[in-house]
Amino acid sequence: MRIHQTCDGVKRRDFLKVGVLGSAGLTLANYLRLAEAGEIAESARGMSAIFVNLPGGPSHMDTFDLKPNAASEYRGKFNPIDTNVPGIQISEHLPKLAKCMDKFVILRGVSHTLGAHALGQEYVNTGSRPLPSLEYPGYGAVIAKETELKNPTDLPSFVAVPNNPQQRPGFLGVKYAPLNTGATPTVGRTFSVRGISLQGGLTIEQVEKRQSLLSDLDATFRAVESDSQLLDGLDRFSEQAHSIITSKTSRDAFDISKESPAFAEPFGEDPFGASCLLATRLVESGVRFVTLQLGGWDTHQDNWTRLSKGNGRSPGLLPQLDTGLSALLNGLEQKGLLESTAIFVTGEFGRTPKINSRSAEGGRDHYPRCMFMLQAGGSIRGGQALGESDENASMPANEGFTPDDAAASFYHNVGIDHTKEYQTNTGRPIMVVRDGSVIKKMFA
Amino acid sequence: MRIRLFYSLVVCLTLVGASAQAVAADDVIAPIHQRFAKANVEETPSFQKHVVPLFGRLGCNGRACHGSFQGQGGFRLSLFGYDFQLDHDALFDKDSPRVDLENPLESLIIAKPIDKDIHEGGMRYEKDSWQYNVIRRWIEAGAEFDKEQVQKLTELKIVPNELLLRETGETVQLKAIAIWADGSQEDVTQLCRFQSNDDQVATIDQNGLLTATNRGDTHLVISYDKAVVPVPVIRPVTDLVGDKYPQVAGRTKVDELVIEKLRKLGVVPSEVCTDAEFLRRVRLDLTGTLPTAKEVEAFLADESSEKRAKKVDELLETPAYTAWWTTKLCDFTGNNAQNLNNTSPIGRNTPSQDWYDWVYRRVEQNVTYDKIVEGIVAGQNMQPDQSYTEYCKMMSDTYRDKDKSYADLPALEYYWSRRDFTNNMEARAIGFAYSFMGLRIQCAQCHKHPFDVWSKDDFHQFKNFFARIQPASQNAPGDYRKEYNKLVEELGVEGKRGNDLRRELPALLKEGKTIPFGAVTTSNRLLRTRAPDEEYPEFDNGKLLGGDVVDVMKVDDPRQVVVDWLRSADNPFFAKAFVNRAWAAYFNAGIVNPPDDLNLANPPSNKALLDYLSKGFIESGFDMKWVHRTIANSDTYQRSWQPNDTNKLDERNFSRAVARRLPAEVAYDAIQQATASNEKAKWLNENIDGRAIAIATAGARTATGNGASFALSVFGKSTRESNCDCDRSSEPSLLQTVFMQNDREVLGLVDANKNTWLDGVARDLKAQQSDDAGTERKIASLESQLTAAEKQLERVEKSKNEQQIAKANARLSQIEKQLDQLNASIAKATAKTDETVDEKINSYIVDAYLRTLSRYPNQNELTRSVAYVHEATDPVEGLGDVLWALINTKEFIVNH
Repeated sequence: MRIHQTCDGVKRRDFLKVGVLGSAGLTLANYLRLAEAGEIAESARGMSAIFVNLPGGPSHMDTFDLKPNAASEYRGKFNPIDTNVPGIQISEHLPKLAKCMDKFVILRGVSHTLGAHALGQEYVNTGSRPLPSLEYPGYGAVIAKETELKNPTDLPSFVAVPNNPQQRPGFLGVKYAPLNTGATPTVGRTFSVRGISLQGGLTIEQVEKRQSLLSDLDATFRAVESDSQLLDGLDRFSEQAHSIITSKTSRDAFDISKESPAFAEPFGEDPFGASCLLATRLVESGVRFVTLQLGGWDTHQDNWTRLSKGNGRSPGLLPQLDTGLSALLNGLEQKGLLESTAIFVTGEFGRTPKINSRSAEGGRDHYPRCMFMLQAGGSIRGGQALGESDENASMPANEGFTPDDAAASFYHNVGIDHTKEYQTNTGRPIMVVRDGSVIKKMFA
Repeated sequence: MRIRLFYSLVVCLTLVGASAQAVAADDVIAPIHQRFAKANVEETPSFQKHVVPLFGRLGCNGRACHGSFQGQGGFRLSLFGYDFQLDHDALFDKDSPRVDLENPLESLIIAKPIDKDIHEGGMRYEKDSWQYNVIRRWIEAGAEFDKEQVQKLTELKIVPNELLLRETGETVQLKAIAIWADGSQEDVTQLCRFQSNDDQVATIDQNGLLTATNRGDTHLVISYDKAVVPVPVIRPVTDLVGDKYPQVAGRTKVDELVIEKLRKLGVVPSEVCTDAEFLRRVRLDLTGTLPTAKEVEAFLADESSEKRAKKVDELLETPAYTAWWTTKLCDFTGNNAQNLNNTSPIGRNTPSQDWYDWVYRRVEQNVTYDKIVEGIVAGQNMQPDQSYTEYCKMMSDTYRDKDKSYADLPALEYYWSRRDFTNNMEARAIGFAYSFMGLRIQCAQCHKHPFDVWSKDDFHQFKNFFARIQPASQNAPGDYRKEYNKLVEELGVEGKRGNDLRRELPALLKEGKTIPFGAVTTSNRLLRTRAPDEEYPEFDNGKLLGGDVVDVMKVDDPRQVVVDWLRSADNPFFAKAFVNRAWAAYFNAGIVNPPDDLNLANPPSNKALLDYLSKGFIESGFDMKWVHRTIANSDTYQRSWQPNDTNKLDERNFSRAVARRLPAEVAYDAIQQATASNEKAKWLNENIDGRAIAIATAGARTATGNGASFALSVFGKSTRESNCDCDRSSEPSLLQTVFMQNDREVLGLVDANKNTWLDGVARDLKAQQSDDAGTERKIASLESQLTAAEKQLERVEKSKNEQQIAKANARLSQIEKQLDQLNASIAKATAKTDETVDEKINSYIVDAYLRTLSRYPNQNELTRSVAYVHEATDPVEGLGDVLWALINTKEFIVNH
């Protein structure tokens, strides 16, 4: 009998009802409406998604938006190479991605104005420009919410490898927070996941035994459970947690050592490659959203060394990205999952076209006004470079794209209407992506 | 469907009172649908009284239609009306006018709604209907509106004003009468918007015809012009009403008022709960802390009759009470480190910690609530007789001297430094109303509040009170620029700003230097607004919500005006907001729920109760402990969670205890304490160092994913981000359960590690086992001696030396005797040992129950647990599993 009214006359209680009972129905209705309007591609049904976060802000000019003819204070050391799509060139340190250019889209001339890491990260992880007074949900939380009734019960729907502090549930609530693996897997080894793997030599038999003790001792509220949303919810989650912990499906999903050596080999030995391998297994098992991370792009100094060879402390960033991401795309295709998996790769901003002199070699600083993003999978038509930056890659050459547009397109690819409205905690209606519109050419 | 007369619950006395004001039917202007039924009507409708409400009634100004901020089809009306000028201007828009004075019938506001001209919104009324006639007549008469002529609605009177329903399908027609400031009265039933707060109890159609659905109680909400009027509806849940209601004693005033409502509903409250239930419940609610096993046993053994009240008094003096309610006040006021970044020269987390410490000191000393709020809202640490430099010296000393603390200072200046308040007086008004009035006025920032009287004008006049505040976030308040410059020059850091400056200052402070500090001030310069507000350019007047107009430029400090208004006895929000939030912390819901949404359309489930508590709070001089005592000592708080046939579905009338998940910090601390060694558990129970309830800051943006912050975010600690009590989540989730069942942190606490309960258990049982081992060694030695003696006997028997044979025999019988003795004593000891181990396991299981569920196990639970431990390969492991199972029960993670 509790109510909660919102600015536009929707009562919180009704909203919850729609949210809890009608989620499938609502999504379905929404879905059918869109399908009718021809806005959902056939392949968007039962979609999963992988978000590859590149925190630090990768240089666009040395990766996917090279300007070989720019003046030396801008150009940078790397040369472009041809890809398997005529007319599209990318950095020479991305040879494997060049061979599968036909599988993804490059967005060039993406532009925004937030030059601080945290704000930029929040922006590209939610698709809405951050507000101090409101926290938007990240992609993972929205997708977990939209698919909650369709998910297998012995798997979490949203997994972060190892974690992504920016993929937060925001105003949707902790219910839609990710399961963080807390570590990255290592190729060929079993992978221990916080909360899921059995620790300290615990066996399934022991877990079953103590669970049966729990179920005998947890009897106090039995008679009233069905009348209480809370008690009933605790009960359901308890069962689900137990089945995740004990299910072979979930343990196998996280165990990359189960993958055949032939399949695993292209992913390489780096933690990022192993994370990509894990992502393919998770998606294959039915996890809806996986976020991966490759950090270290904040190359104020020694930009080219850190991108290509690495500086002793860490291996080169581009070879890691090249190997992991190309293996991810090829691997998903091999498993027949590329068409049902939307992939989004981005950092929080690009880097200054003009080279600084902070180190002998020079570096590049934060630069949100011009950056690149990649998308692939689902109904995306790969092999395109959309948008364009000016001659020094300092501005979009024409209208350019915003992170909001990229986010709207990502949701579109997953089959979620980005104009759908949620109620915030205080009852404000807020669209999934507030200002973006789908970049139609990506799907043409 | 037959129309029944309403049953009024109002007793005779109030009816007499009401009838004095009652209006003879003759004086009331007849309903509009009668007056405008015919085409030849001569009356000219009023834009305010008739046309705009009609737009609302027809849905024109709804959010999905022309009320949308983007408008619809190039035509925008104010959302929910009451912005008459905007609406009138829109109708006469020079590019696309909606009114055609030359050819009234061609006006789009006629052609569109009758769907003559294609209208996306379809037909809203028919040609020649009364609605049609109203709009047509208004246009024919010149479609006038004069801003100066807007009339004040004195009252929207609803008949009946309280409903008692008896059976499903029963209907009641409501009538709404507008009483205007000039005394005129009109039946406006046809122009109101009607809604039911719970369709499960009653539905209401757009003409005000109510239909009873199921049993229960709720409110109808009727809106017209500025007014929003709630009308209570009750449909008894059982037949136990009136004389049939059983005798239930109301021990305290709170109980009386709760039972009074329950009697109308036919709901009988549950019994008073057991002592064990009470102790656990009040411990968790009042102090955010689980009782220790010892505490439970002592409380249960105490036979004094006043022990519950004594316990409440005792708990109110603990540091845990102070810490937990400080945390709550930090939630309501938005203490969030991320939001205070760069507001202190001392370091990133200093402001958040200062905030907590300042509030903590005052809760500890039970400073009255209005004083605390005054220190937050209107306080100033720079004293009138102090120069800026003297102020900085005092602040520098405060931070340098270990015996001093920010809590010593009179004011908590950080509230206005919140990043979301920076240069934004609208955000200040919204945050202020949320923190101290439990109001969500943000709706009125852009349109008439749909559930309350607040118009856009009200909002924007209120925000002016906050225009002159200069927060402490700047390094130097503008008026002290010269002194500031001198200070930084002396420090040798002139020319440095922002982070560069902040990097230098802590070291200089340590050296004993005076460093510059920010200070909140009330400036005569107005707030720089990021974009000039074209619609509300004037700052001069502030209007208190529902109160007086004040020239904010003429008073010394508008902040003080606001505080004085808050603490005045007739302020309708301040005391209510606090007692309601306190109530919500002891029950599953506030009397108004959600507790931070006091608005007319969200009325209290028990108005008399809320009034009693807020009046008592004011009369106590805003003594927070009065509120805690009054609630915690009532039978209503001490009801059992066990329902009876009448109240099992009640979740808003407090007839039983409703299970609630423990708040994040409380859950985290409870897990730590329940699994800790006896010494550590006692320490955690009595102290707050290292406790989650003593963590100063909050906010998802500052969560690190490690240690306590991981668990706290999984359990939904308040993010203190959006001016909403719902920033704290108490929903269950999958990750919480995964955490409890299998996270390394929890498993580490359950296992026999340093300072855990199981470690103590393991040591104790091991000591027992080593005693046993000593005995076994003795037996082995005697047995080998025995074998040697037997061999010796065999040898000497061959030699036939009788003397030697006799000697060997003697030796043999001596060993046999020893062995017999030892065996006897072993048998005795073994029997005793078995008994002890069994007893030990029993008492450990009892201990595990006491330290987790704060009660003794029942016979079934004990038998099952004992059997489990006996079956285990190692009793220590078995006991660990029992502890694991207990913290994973629902009974552990909820307060009940």
